[in-house]
Amino acid sequence: MKKILTIVIFSPFIFSSCSKDDSAVYVPKPLHFEAPSNFPDIAYNLDNNPLTEAGFELGKKLFYDGKLSANNAIPCAFCHEQAFAFTHHGHTLSHGVNGGIGLRNAQPIQNLAFQKDFMWDGAASHLDLQPIIPLTSELEMGETLSNVIEKLKADSYYQKQFGLAFEDGDINASNMLKALSQFMVMMVSSNSKYDKYVRQEENVSLSQIEWDGLNTFQNKCATCHATDLFSDQSYRNNGLSINPRLNDTGRFKILENSEDLYKFKVPSLRNIEFTFPYMHDGRFETLEAVLDFYDAGMTDNGNVDISLKRDDGSFGISLSTYEKESVIAFLKTLTDNEFLNDKRFSEF
Amino acid sequence: MKITKLAWALLLCLCIISCSSDNEEDLTGQIGTLDLKFDNGVGDQDFIFGTTYNKSNGESYKLTTLKYIISNVRIKDSKGNIFNYPTADNVFIVDEANGNNAGEIFITLNNVPAADYTEITFGIGIDQTRFLLGADGQGDFLAEAQSAGMLWSWATGYRFMRFDGTYSNGTVTDEALAIHMGSVGTSLDNYREVTFTLPNTVRVREVAHPEIHIEADISKVFDGQTSVNFADGYSQVHTSSETTPVIADNLKSIFEVHHVHNN
Ligand code: HEC
Ligand code: HEC
Repeated sequence: MKKILTIVIFSPFIFSSCSKDDSAVYVPKPLHFEAPSNFPDIAYNLDNNPLTEAGFELGKKLFYDGKLSANNAIPCAFCHEQAFAFTHHGHTLSHGVNGGIGLRNAQPIQNLAFQKDFMWDGAASHLDLQPIIPLTSELEMGETLSNVIEKLKADSYYQKQFGLAFEDGDINASNMLKALSQFMVMMVSSNSKYDKYVRQEENVSLSQIEWDGLNTFQNKCATCHATDLFSDQSYRNNGLSINPRLNDTGRFKILENSEDLYKFKVPSLRNIEFTFPYMHDGRFETLEAVLDFYDAGMTDNGNVDISLKRDDGSFGISLSTYEKESVIAFLKTLTDNEFLNDKRFSEF
Repeated sequence: MKITKLAWALLLCLCIISCSSDNEEDLTGQIGTLDLKFDNGVGDQDFIFGTTYNKSNGESYKLTTLKYIISNVRIKDSKGNIFNYPTADNVFIVDEANGNNAGEIFITLNNVPAADYTEITFGIGIDQTRFLLGADGQGDFLAEAQSAGMLWSWATGYRFMRFDGTYSNGTVTDEALAIHMGSVGTSLDNYREVTFTLPNTVRVREVAHPEIHIEADISKVFDGQTSVNFADGYSQVHTSSETTPVIADNLKSIFEVHHVHNN
């Protein structure tokens, strides 16, 4: 009699524990997204993908997991390294599976929640769908979505974590991409010396040369590198000579509109000290080289931004030696060490 | 006499019963299945892979791939109620390669409320609302679309169609042909919708499984609202802001509801 009673009492537990084995319980712990007060409005729609601790953790794991590539060795982080504001350190052009050389310099992953579209030419117009490009590119990760999903389904960590991160718990492309977005949306860099200075935090002040640089920057650069994101998010042709080996036509590739020839997204200059080499093809190693280019290296490639035309008809932004030095000093105040060392975003 | 009277009365009764049951047929809670049958053709010929078809301008083409995305199917019943198929599942790839021997491709709509339907609307491609959802609510469709080659690999978003093959004209023979039209985020919207009044009522019931037969004359993609020349930039159509809207408008005009089966 006693035996029967124990069975009766315990049987529900047995059943329920069985069913819980396969699917973890979904108890969302919301993650708070804090928009810095000196930033423009967020562009990413969080309502469609509410941030949770488990979703963020899942996204981070995916970002650092080689399984997302054909040879299981090229994770996102291979080309997006934290110490260099998530760029591909030391590479003008990134390379991926089978040593394939990509066509462009890897962009930093920071403040993407505030961006309307992505990539140097704006080929990606939704953050959730952006990872499909590197994932399936022959030159980068060389995978297919369905194959990646099969690999994730066979992994016990993912079997559990998708259940914790999403109500339906399904291991599918939709949830994988949402998790990657949650991770990337949280990657906000907004605690540089410059930020603290403009937000008047911690009594931070700029040195004379930094302050002079900021003024020059505001007069000569901020039309394009606008707002505290340092990009107006438009596509512009800043007069780089055309590299015939790549003949990268930039934004033209997308809408095939001749007005877009050789236009590229105005890049944010945050953490610029660490995101070298510079420009879409990584042609400049140093900031000195960039400023020499603006001052005296521009080429009339047929479609240069009209605002860069000087009175004498040549293209460029005239800068004295001191102006160059001070602009560089200012640009270095955009380095955000808290972000570059933030444990939340590191692999270990 | 008595018998005839009785017979009349009986007949009248039957009439009333059958009439009233017709008017007040209670369909609440009843659901059924509706099939959309797509049949691709070229003018009055059936479409066949690898067969050469002529255009109006002396160019010809043959295809090895023929598929397009249909989405946002909704149907209107005789009382004016509109049934939207659930958004998450309301997107389909019509792929000629998946056709039966007669080249017919089926989209099956399940759990359709029983009613008499008189009108159908569907979209061609992916609308802005769905695009802006990002990965949300897309389930396995992203992976499915990628396997089917309906996602760009160099940009984000869907190819709304894939007509791949070759074309020839007076000067070139078997040059590559790739008509992959799609939208570009919110900068270029090539989604289109079409609405058709059904030639007769489609009766969806628990026991009936009707079918709407849609014919698609794919020659109109090239000789539709606008006739296009492959030689003038229409042999490779991807995301160009000039050529894609022309193809999108032409593609919209290829469909026709041919007939309806109630069974
Ligand atoms: C082989 C190197 C490589 C790998 C692997 C890689 N990326 Fe990138 N990433 C790049 C390059 C290069 C660009 C710039 C591409 C362009 O503009 O065409 C870029 C751009 C981006 C951007 C756009 C940033 C912006 O400011 O617009 C995002 C987001 C991004 N990558 C995320 C990812 C994610 C997520 C993964 C993993 C699924 C990944 N990347 C894997 C090289 C790589
Ligand atoms: C007309 C708009 C415009 C103006 C003005 C402008 N830039 Fe740029 N800047 C761009 C564009 C566009 C790019 C990307 C070009 C490319 O890679 O093809 C760029 C790239 C850069 C880069 C490289 C960033 C990276 O991540 O690789 C730096 C650094 C830079 N600009 C600094 C400046 C400074 C400093 C000034 C003022 C002296 C300035 N820019 C003025 C449009 C502009």
